[in-house]
Amino acid sequence: MKSLLPIAILLLMLPLYTALNAQAPSPDQTWKLDQSTLTYHMSHPMHEVDGTSHAALGKGVCHAGLCNFLVAATVKSFDSGDSNRDLHMIQTTRGAQFPIVQVKFSLAQSSLNSPTLDCDLEVQFAGNTAHYSHVIFQQTIQGTAHHITGVVPSTLTDFKIDPPTFLTIPIKNAIPVRADMVWHAE
Amino acid sequence: MLVAQTSGQTLVVQLASQQQGIELVSKQSNLQILPHAPLPAAPAESAIQSDATLSGSSSSFNYAQNQPTSTGPSLGDLGLTSADTEGDAKRQALFDRRSHMLKIHQRLGLITVIPVAAACISSAGAPPEKGNYSDTTSRDIHVALGATALAMYAWTASYAIRAPRVSNGPARGGVKWHKYLIYIHAPGMVLTPILGAMAYNQINSGQKVHGIASAHAGVAVATAASYGAAILAVSWPIHLKF
Repeated sequence: MKSLLPIAILLLMLPLYTALNAQAPSPDQTWKLDQSTLTYHMSHPMHEVDGTSHAALGKGVCHAGLCNFLVAATVKSFDSGDSNRDLHMIQTTRGAQFPIVQVKFSLAQSSLNSPTLDCDLEVQFAGNTAHYSHVIFQQTIQGTAHHITGVVPSTLTDFKIDPPTFLTIPIKNAIPVRADMVWHAE
Repeated sequence: MLVAQTSGQTLVVQLASQQQGIELVSKQSNLQILPHAPLPAAPAESAIQSDATLSGSSSSFNYAQNQPTSTGPSLGDLGLTSADTEGDAKRQALFDRRSHMLKIHQRLGLITVIPVAAACISSAGAPPEKGNYSDTTSRDIHVALGATALAMYAWTASYAIRAPRVSNGPARGGVKWHKYLIYIHAPGMVLTPILGAMAYNQINSGQKVHGIASAHAGVAVATAASYGAAILAVSWPIHLKF
């Protein structure tokens, strides 16, 4: 009988341990951006242009239940299919002086498997920083791959970029950036 | 080690391995160690820059609160080197100059369309009518418009030629055709006035235009057409949407 007492105590403590363990933060975790397609869209009364970069790099670090993510791409990696336009884009966005566009955001680790991700983005671009609240990204999970898509509603004025003109007509202020990314937990 | 730029004075903050506090070291005082200097109530966005070693790690240091606050990854964690991330003001200035010169090239090129078109239209009156070789007015107008077109063309081209090169990569898209068409309209702009001068002299001497001078009109049309195509090449595709 005496030998069963410790076992009984352990069994009684099991639910308490389980409850405490459930409240403990998730273990540290890192995420890596495996594939990405970032596409900006530029509108002009005579032209519709998309510039795409597949060269974005990204990493996420989760600690104490909070995940901090960083995605960065070089400005020159965006390709609109016209080398002259791309060089002009680099000039307009001060891409030689500020060669990196980077996006930072944080998410609760518990929300990483949700079908929609509500992100507050901090975007550094062209020497300026803009914040975008509640940007919704759609997520589909296939095995270990987290496929995330969404649009950042960026504008030229957010980054104090003078709108380029064609035939004296400036392009539209809105430059939405579509993100299509695949992340993996490491 | 952290480097802080405060009102023009550079401070170096050293983090000891057994950190009991912060040592502030002034560069200007030849690395003189100050004992436990009081921490300034700097705002969170004070200009504190971590050096490459710290920024490459997954932690950062908050100068005001003396404790780590963020575990977010840095650009170094992504594998980007300082060569990738550091800007180059001189190169930016080169880009600015290039864009400025190409904008002028674009404007002058569009303006040049006017004398080129006018020279083409005025060519209708350039040949002598029914053997009347004495009336040279229409011909002179055509010559003047042609000369204006040539001068404007050379002025336009000079801005593209003198614009600094910022990339050695191959031309892609419409600008590639814009450059290919130079091989047609540039020789054409040289040949057209030469052939025109030959035709002018033949007419003035009472002869019919003959020999190579008779190609003046054909070369001029090919030149004007390729010039127009060069403009369209950098404007294409056009989607009118208002």
